[in-house]
Amino acid sequence: MSILYDEGQQAIATESRRAIEARISKDDLLPLLQTTGKYHEAFWTTAKEQGWTALALPEAYGGLALGLVELGLIAHQAGRTLSGAPFLTSSFGAAKAIELYGSDAQKERWLPGLASGEAIGTIAFASGPDALPAQPTATWAADRLNGHANGVSGGLFADVAIVFASTGDKPALVIADLSGVTRTAVDSFDNSRCIADLVFSGTPAELVATGDDARTAALHVLALQAVVTAHEQTGGAEALMEIARDYAITRKAFGQPIGAFQSIKHRIAELYGFVELARANAIHAAASEGSSDFITAAAAARLSATEAYDTAARDCVQIHGGIGVTWEIGLHLHMRRARSLALEQGSSFFWEDILVDRLAGDVA
Amino acid sequence: MSDLEAYRTNASAWCESVVATFGKAARKGLTVEEDLALGRRYQKAKFDAGYAGINWPTEYGGQGLGHIEKITFEAEEMKHGFPNVYFGISLGMPVPVLMQFGADKEFVKERVVKALKGEEIWCQLFSEPSGGTDLAGLRTRAETDGNGWKINGQKVWTSWAQYSDYGVIVVRTDPTVAKHKGLTYFWVDMKAPGVTVRPIKLAGGDSHVNEVFFDDVKISDDHRMSPVGGGFSVALATLMIERYVATDSAGFGPHLDLFVDLAKELKLNGRPAIEDGRIRQQIARNYAMRAGLDSINRRARLMMQAGMTPGPEGSLNKLVAVRSRQKLSELALDLQGTDAFLFDEHASPKDDWASSWINAPTGRIAGGSDETLLNTIAERILGLPQDHRPDKGIPFNQIPA
Repeated sequence: MSILYDEGQQAIATESRRAIEARISKDDLLPLLQTTGKYHEAFWTTAKEQGWTALALPEAYGGLALGLVELGLIAHQAGRTLSGAPFLTSSFGAAKAIELYGSDAQKERWLPGLASGEAIGTIAFASGPDALPAQPTATWAADRLNGHANGVSGGLFADVAIVFASTGDKPALVIADLSGVTRTAVDSFDNSRCIADLVFSGTPAELVATGDDARTAALHVLALQAVVTAHEQTGGAEALMEIARDYAITRKAFGQPIGAFQSIKHRIAELYGFVELARANAIHAAASEGSSDFITAAAAARLSATEAYDTAARDCVQIHGGIGVTWEIGLHLHMRRARSLALEQGSSFFWEDILVDRLAGDVA
Repeated sequence: MSDLEAYRTNASAWCESVVATFGKAARKGLTVEEDLALGRRYQKAKFDAGYAGINWPTEYGGQGLGHIEKITFEAEEMKHGFPNVYFGISLGMPVPVLMQFGADKEFVKERVVKALKGEEIWCQLFSEPSGGTDLAGLRTRAETDGNGWKINGQKVWTSWAQYSDYGVIVVRTDPTVAKHKGLTYFWVDMKAPGVTVRPIKLAGGDSHVNEVFFDDVKISDDHRMSPVGGGFSVALATLMIERYVATDSAGFGPHLDLFVDLAKELKLNGRPAIEDGRIRQQIARNYAMRAGLDSINRRARLMMQAGMTPGPEGSLNKLVAVRSRQKLSELALDLQGTDAFLFDEHASPKDDWASSWINAPTGRIAGGSDETLLNTIAERILGLPQDHRPDKGIPFNQIPA
């Protein structure tokens, strides 16, 4: 499936861009790199006020009942400007997991808060390079969770986490109440992601799925998040392409704009290709939610978006020359974000395997 | 079912109905001449069935439908390997330009109908030995000769010229003005005295392109399709026609499924190649890239259906698809190791990796080289400056050779 944005969707893109650009600048973001435990509060306030936290959740729980297409549009704008907090995606993932796999009581407990943004959610699935590990680092039994989850984006402030744990010898997907959990901030290259190592010690947690069902559910939640992130990555790549283009038009060397040299202009034209392929795949994946090839579409979107953002970050800095590597110009904010987004929700290795398993017919 | 879906269903059924007569199996083992003859019968069958000139005016023998119907039919047609390649250029550019710029309407109508029926073929005489990308730098000249013109010079890379009845040509009529201002656009009879066509054998073994020599070829002024000195804009119009043809994210090479099948059949280090990380990465990357192009093209079709002009991202198709097809074909040969040596010169690049590999460079050069396409994206879409052009504004005959 593939779509053209309708008027309402175009309005969401325009309005979210206006709102984000008015409230966030690189001068706000640079200091956040040098401290842990802080995010850009104006960004998150804006997200709540504008209803972005409620956007893709059901009306019965305070949501706006829109979907991935609309949330993707906002993520794209957030990516362009460098969002100041990871919660839009992390809370969305937690909320979707509860909406799709939780009980009515669990939905009643968590979804209204996640929709309003008063509560923050996250997912804790990965263990190092394994996005869905065969040996999860937390174990669940009798409504209690023990063990740990490292490198959880948004984990520093999350009220609730969906944890990929084990129970007996089977995987388990659980909803963990993080109010009593021990959190250690990870001092990262991208600190506004609010990454934390979580230690579970008798943490209250309710089971939502076990065995193959847990794995399937976890992958689906990851894919939903990955499509949102693919839009964010595409937005970042697009912004970098434009920054590179603008610089190449104004900066002169040897008596002409450097953009007149093919080594520069072709590099930027190649970025255009990466951005448009990523955009096309992201739109297709968002529009494929609910179809049988959603996971395949999400994997393709994730791979091309990661490649686009990393490449754009690399090349945009290169095109700027010396000024590009300075702290003040802030291109490294995008470099950092390109990498942090590449690692959240599974690296390219993970999605390559997900994709090829399906193309080769090993997974239906 | 929408009208377009119904159209697609009918088109698909018609294609299926002629597969036995014109499909890949029917063409197997034919000489080029036999295949061309079959192609002419196929083109006639299309005409009779109402699938020729789908988006052309009915007054010229077309169907008067939209571009969307045309590419819908082409997407169905592409699945079967019909012998339509001989008419691709003819009906793609020269004949539409003739309809647009030809002065004598009766003559034009007769030519168009014969071209649609596959009875006549037109070629496009643009590139020259001194340059292809730099079209306006061409050297073939036409001088006034009585009431008409006399053409001397040489064209090259002219597809299907050896089978063509007519051609459209851009020539220099005034060397004393800036290069793109001294050009004029004509049509020529390819059977006229003084026209010599010499096929060029390409690296892959086939000879669909030609050198065409013009020695005192005399034409009357009614062959002229542009104002004198106004040929460059008609040439650009020719190149702008059919910007949204049916595309193929496989770069006109094998489908990715064939690579996956190969990786499942063959072993690397004693394990199925499909389990090898290097192979998996290539499959995943190629899939993502092709899926992106497919999505771009689906959106372009939706926009056309909605009466909008598709975005400029369609210009990525050939650049991205053919380049990656070239690398994937190399990899497919790597996978087969010494078993890949056996080479069939007549195999189809659509389903044979060696054929795809050896013919891929042509795809990266013909119809705008990768570098030209990158320049176009950079300048037209992104607004980056033009390259430094030392010949800009200088009279053609004063440009240092």
